[in-house]
Amino acid sequence: MMSGSKPDILWSPHHVDRYVICDSELSLYRIGAVGSSETKAGTLPLSEETAATLLAINSDTPYMKCVAWYPKHEPECLLAVGQANGRVVLTSLGQSHNSKCKELVGKEFVPKHARQCNTLAWNPVDSNWLAAGLDKHRADFSVLIWDINSKFSPEASVPAEKIRLSSGDTDSGLVVTKPLYELGQNDACLSLCWLPRDHQKLLLAGMHRNLAIFDLRNTSQKTFVNTKAIQGVTVDPHFQDRVASFFEGQVAIWDLRKFEKPVFTLTEQPKPLTKVAWCPTRMGLLATLTRDSNIIRLYDMQHTPTPIGDETEPTIIERSVQPCSESIISSFAWHPSAQNRMVVVSPNRVMTDFTVFERISLAWSSTTSLMWACGRHLYECSEEANAADRDIATKMRQRAQSRYGHDTVQVWRNHVLAGGDDPQLKSLWYTLHFMKQYTEDTEQRQQGNKQSLIYSGIKNIVKSSSGTTEIRRCWTGSDKQTDVPRYHSEERTLALQLCGWISRGPDIDVEPFLKSLEQEGEWERAAAVALFNLDIRRAIQILNKGASAEKGDLNLNVVAMALSGYTDEKNSLWREMCSSLRLQLKKPYLCVMFAFLTSEPGAYDGVLYESSVAVRDRVAFACMFLSDTQLPRYIDKLTSEMKEAGNLEGILLTGLTKDGVDLMESYVDRTGDVQTASFCMLKGSPGEVVKDPRVQCWIENYRNLLDAWRFWHKRAEFDIHRSKLDPSSKPLAQVFVSCNFCGKSISYSCSAMPHQGRGFSQYGVSGSPTKSKVTSCPGCRKPLPRCALCLMNMGTPVSSCPGKSDEKVDLTRDKKLAQFNNWFTWCHNCRHGGHAGHMLSWFRDHSECPVSACTCKCMQLDTTGNLVPSDSV
Amino acid sequence: MRSAPLSSTESSWRAEAMDLHILDHRLRVTSISKTGLENYTHPLIKLIFLRNRTRCKFFSLTETPENYTVVLDEEGFKELQPSEHLQVEGSTWLPLNVISNGNASSSSQAVGVTKIAKSVIAPLAEQHVSVFMLSTYQTDFILVRETDLSVVIHTLQEEFNIYREVKGESVPVQGQNAQNGLRKNGREASHATVHPVLIPENQFCVMSLDPDTLPAIATTLIDVLFYSNNTPKEDTSQAQDLECIKFFSFSLIDGYISLVMDTEAQRQFPADLLFTSSSGELWRMVRIGGQPLGFDECGIVAQISQPLADSDISAYYISTFSFDHALVPEEDIVSVTEMLKDQRKEAAR
Repeated sequence: MMSGSKPDILWSPHHVDRYVICDSELSLYRIGAVGSSETKAGTLPLSEETAATLLAINSDTPYMKCVAWYPKHEPECLLAVGQANGRVVLTSLGQSHNSKCKELVGKEFVPKHARQCNTLAWNPVDSNWLAAGLDKHRADFSVLIWDINSKFSPEASVPAEKIRLSSGDTDSGLVVTKPLYELGQNDACLSLCWLPRDHQKLLLAGMHRNLAIFDLRNTSQKTFVNTKAIQGVTVDPHFQDRVASFFEGQVAIWDLRKFEKPVFTLTEQPKPLTKVAWCPTRMGLLATLTRDSNIIRLYDMQHTPTPIGDETEPTIIERSVQPCSESIISSFAWHPSAQNRMVVVSPNRVMTDFTVFERISLAWSSTTSLMWACGRHLYECSEEANAADRDIATKMRQRAQSRYGHDTVQVWRNHVLAGGDDPQLKSLWYTLHFMKQYTEDTEQRQQGNKQSLIYSGIKNIVKSSSGTTEIRRCWTGSDKQTDVPRYHSEERTLALQLCGWISRGPDIDVEPFLKSLEQEGEWERAAAVALFNLDIRRAIQILNKGASAEKGDLNLNVVAMALSGYTDEKNSLWREMCSSLRLQLKKPYLCVMFAFLTSEPGAYDGVLYESSVAVRDRVAFACMFLSDTQLPRYIDKLTSEMKEAGNLEGILLTGLTKDGVDLMESYVDRTGDVQTASFCMLKGSPGEVVKDPRVQCWIENYRNLLDAWRFWHKRAEFDIHRSKLDPSSKPLAQVFVSCNFCGKSISYSCSAMPHQGRGFSQYGVSGSPTKSKVTSCPGCRKPLPRCALCLMNMGTPVSSCPGKSDEKVDLTRDKKLAQFNNWFTWCHNCRHGGHAGHMLSWFRDHSECPVSACTCKCMQLDTTGNLVPSDSV
Repeated sequence: MRSAPLSSTESSWRAEAMDLHILDHRLRVTSISKTGLENYTHPLIKLIFLRNRTRCKFFSLTETPENYTVVLDEEGFKELQPSEHLQVEGSTWLPLNVISNGNASSSSQAVGVTKIAKSVIAPLAEQHVSVFMLSTYQTDFILVRETDLSVVIHTLQEEFNIYREVKGESVPVQGQNAQNGLRKNGREASHATVHPVLIPENQFCVMSLDPDTLPAIATTLIDVLFYSNNTPKEDTSQAQDLECIKFFSFSLIDGYISLVMDTEAQRQFPADLLFTSSSGELWRMVRIGGQPLGFDECGIVAQISQPLADSDISAYYISTFSFDHALVPEEDIVSVTEMLKDQRKEAAR
C-alpha cells in the first residue's frame, strides 16, 4: 500500500530485469550489469555491479493509491492502478504497439460510491479477475471483484439518467460499473489476497477488525477471526497455509488450517510497519520495514519438526540488514527469482540493488568433519591430513577401533595398536611393559615392597639407592685399562632393566638388547649402547653390519673407522678433531658416542643433555656413569624438564606417581590425548594416582568421547577394563526389578542372598531353590509379568524364530537367559514392556506401544532409541 | 520474545447475523453559538486540519441556521474552552454501530437509518432511550447516553451480537439478566409528540474525501465553515416559507472524512477531489422540530424512520443540538412529504 507520494517498487512478474517505481507516476526501469553494453549515459548505479535504465514513464493516473502487475505473460506490463476515488484504471508502460494491451489500457472500473482504493490483487488463476479493496461506505461493499474483460453494462436497477459519468466515458465502453462480485459491507478493506491453494477463495482484512476468508462460490459464508492485525495480508509463497499480517509495529503469522489465533507474533517494533513481504526465493523468510527506518528486519522461520508436543513455537531467527547505509528506506521488493535479492528505494527515489547474505549455519560432527550451509549450498569439510598431522580426535577414534590400550599382556604392543608411529607412545608403553614385567618378577620373589617402588619411577628408585660400588673396567677385548668409573647397585640394575637395556633375570648382559636393536635396524643406537658398555669392537661390528645392510648408510663405515682410531691420549689429534667435528654429525647417537669418548670422566654433559637421544638411553647411561651425588641431581633436572614438556618418555622417571600425573597433565594440555592418559593412569591402580581428580576427569572425558562417537561397545569394554584395574570404579546396581506382589528385587544376586529364617520349605515347596522357576519371583513365588508380545511370563527364554531353532539347541539355559534378547525391558512412561528382543523387533516397525489401546509412543520418548552404535562388537 | 496474541479471537461459520458494536469513544455533544464562533476557530481548525496534533478520534461539526453543533470525544472536548457561547449537553454519549455480517446479496437496498429503524430505533424508543443520530458517508452512528447503556444492551441483546470495543479489540458483551433494565429508564413515558417538519428546497450531497487531500480544500472548507456570509437570522424569523436553509456538516471520525452540503456549497469545491456515488445521487432534507427538541425526548427518530422503513426508502439522519435532520433521496421526497402530512393529520385527529 502506498501512502502519499512515497515511492513503492514492483518487480515485473516475468521479466527478471524490470521493475516499476510508483509514486506520483509510474516509471519502468531495466536493471543490468554496470559494464554491459546496454548501459548508457543515463543509467543509475544501483550497486557496485548493477545499474538501472529508465525505460518509460507513465503519468496518466493521478491519485494512485495502489498498483498491481498483471500476473500472466500476455499482455505484459499491464498494470492496475487503484486511485484515491476508488476507481481502478488499467494502464501500461512502454507497450505502445501491443494490440492485446490496447483493448484493456485505459479501462476504468468505477465503484458505486467513491472512496479510496486501498489494495488490489489479481487472481493468480483467473487472471481477468481483479479484486479491489476499498474504504468503507455506509451503503456499499468494500471489496469489488472486477472482470477486466467485461464490457460496460449499466446496472439494470439504476435508471440510465441517474448515471452521471463524465461525458465520453460511456461511449468508449471503457468504464465498467458492474463488478463480478461484491463482498463485505460496512467496513473498509485494508488488504486482501487470493489464496493460492484455492483461487476461488479470497482473504480479506479490515472488515470490522477481522481477517475473513470468503469463498466466491458461496459468498454468504465466511471464516473469520477477530484481530487487530489487518494490514498487509500476504501468503507465504512456499507454504500456502501461512499468512502474515500486521498492525502498527506487530506482525502476526497465521496458519489458515488453524485460523483461530495467530500461530505466533513477532517482536513488536516501536514504529509502525509499512511493508511485510515473504521472500519468494527462500523458504520461510519474512522481511519487514518500519516507517522512517534504514533497516530491513528479516525473520527466518525455521521449520523444525518436533516429535513431542504440537504446541511448541517454531524457532525464529531475527536479524536486520541495512541495504543503503545512510538513507531511509521508503519501500523494498524481493526479486521474483534471484536468490535473496531485493531492490530498495528511498523517499527521494534513490534505488539500491541489494542481496541479503544468507546466514551460515555450521555443525561439527562428533568425528572430525565439519559441515556448513549457505543459501542453497551445503559444504562439507573433512580432514585430509596425512597420518602424522591428523587431529588427535581422529587418532583416538582410530586407536579406539584398533583396541588401543586393551592389550594387558603384551603391554608394549599398545603402541603398535596406536599406529606405531609415535616415539613417545612407544617409550610410554615399553616403560609400562617393563614396569609390569618387573613387578610380576618381584611378586614372584615375594619382595612386596619393591612393587610400589617400580611404579614410582626411576627418580624414586635411584633415590633409594644404597651400596653403590665403583668399578673400573677394561675395554672389552682389550687389556687397556679405562679411567672411566662405572657404578653398580641393585637399584641401578633395576633402573637399567626398566630402561630396557638389560633384560629380566640375574643376567646383566646387554647383548640381547643389542641384538634386538640390530634387528630393528637401529644401528647407531646399538653401536652407542655397545660403546657405553665399553665394547668398542662390538660397536664397530654393529656399524659395519649397518653399513652393509640393505639400504645401509655407507657413512657408518667411516664412523667405524673413526671409532677404531680411539685413543685415550689426552692431547692426540684424534681426540681434538673428534670433539670438534662430532657436532657436525647429524645422527645424535653417533654424536654422543664421540662425546663419550672425548669427555673427561664424570663430565658427560655432551651425552646427558643431547635431547635427541631417547630419555631411556640417557637415563641408562646416567645410571652407569654418574656418581651417587650426580645421578639424583641429573634425574631431577631431567624429570622437571619432561614434566614441563609433557614428554611421555618422562613417565620412565616419574612412574605413575603424582609427578607422573603432572607430566601427563602437561601432555594432555599439549595434545588432548585423554585416551592415552586414561589407559596409562589406570595402570597405576590400585595406587592413589587413579583417584586424582585430573585422572578421573580424563577417564570421564574419554568415556564421553566414546559415547559421542556412538562407540557404545567400546565404552562398555573400557568400563570393564577400568573396573578390572580399579574395582572402586565399578558402578553399583542402580536399577532393580522388583516383584509386583512382594516388592522385593527379583534379580539373581538378591535371590542368592540368604533368606532370614524363612526357607522355601516353609511354603511347602519341595526341591532346591536354585531349581525354582525363573518365571516367578524368588521372594514370593508369584509369576513375573508377561511379555506384551509373546504373552509368556518374563524369565521364559525368547521363543526363537523357526529358522533359528538349531541355535536354540546349542545354548544352555543359563546362557540363553543371560542373552540380551531375554532381558526385561519396559517403557518408563506407560510401564508396558517385555523381552528386550521382542520389543526391539516390534519398535522397528511400530511407533506405538504393543499393548492394545495404549497409545504411548514409547520408542520416540527414548532419545537414543533410534541411534545405532557406530562400532560393532 | 513473543508477546501474547493480538486479539481475543473467535472463529465460526455464521449465517447472517447482526452485530452491534459499542465503539471505544466517549462523546460530548456541544453547541457553539453563531456569534461565539470566532472564539473557537482555533480549536476547530486544529481538530479539522491538524490530525497529528490532536488525539481526538471522533469529531463532527454541523452548521445549522441556529448554531454549530460539535460532537467530539473527550480528547477533543479538552480543546474547547468553556464560555457563554458554548453549550454542553451534560451526559457522556457512546456511539453504537450496527454491522450486518452481511449476506452479500442483501435483499433490501435501503440503508442508513431505514435499515436499523425496526431493529434498533423502534425498540430503543419503546424503552424510552433517547438517541442522537449521526449519519456519515461511511456509516451511521447511534449515540446513546452512557447511563442508558445497560438498558440498551438489555433491549438489543435479543436481536444482536453485542460487542464492546476496548483498545481496538472487540469484546463480546454478555447480556445481563438484570430485570431493572426493563423499567422504563426511570423516565415517565410521555406521549409521543408529533413534531412539525420543514422541507427546504436545497439539494444536498453526501460526500467523502481522501484525508491526504484535505489540505487541498482547506481554504474552501474554512471559507464555507467560518465565513459563510449568511448572517444568522433571528431564530423567531425561521418561517415555514423559507426556501433554503443553511446546513453543512463535516465529520472526521477514525480517519474518515464525511461531508454533507448543499449543491451550492459543493460548487465551491474542486470537483475531482470529493468522492460521492457514481450515480451522483442528491438528497432532500426533512428538518424535524419547530422548537428546539432537547435531548430527553424519545421516539423522534422512530417517528421518521419507521414510515421510511415501511416504504423502503434510504435515509441519512443527522441530529443537531436543536433539531433533527433526515436526508432522503430526491426522487422520494414527494412520497415522503405525503407520508409526513398523513402522519401529522393523524396526530391532529
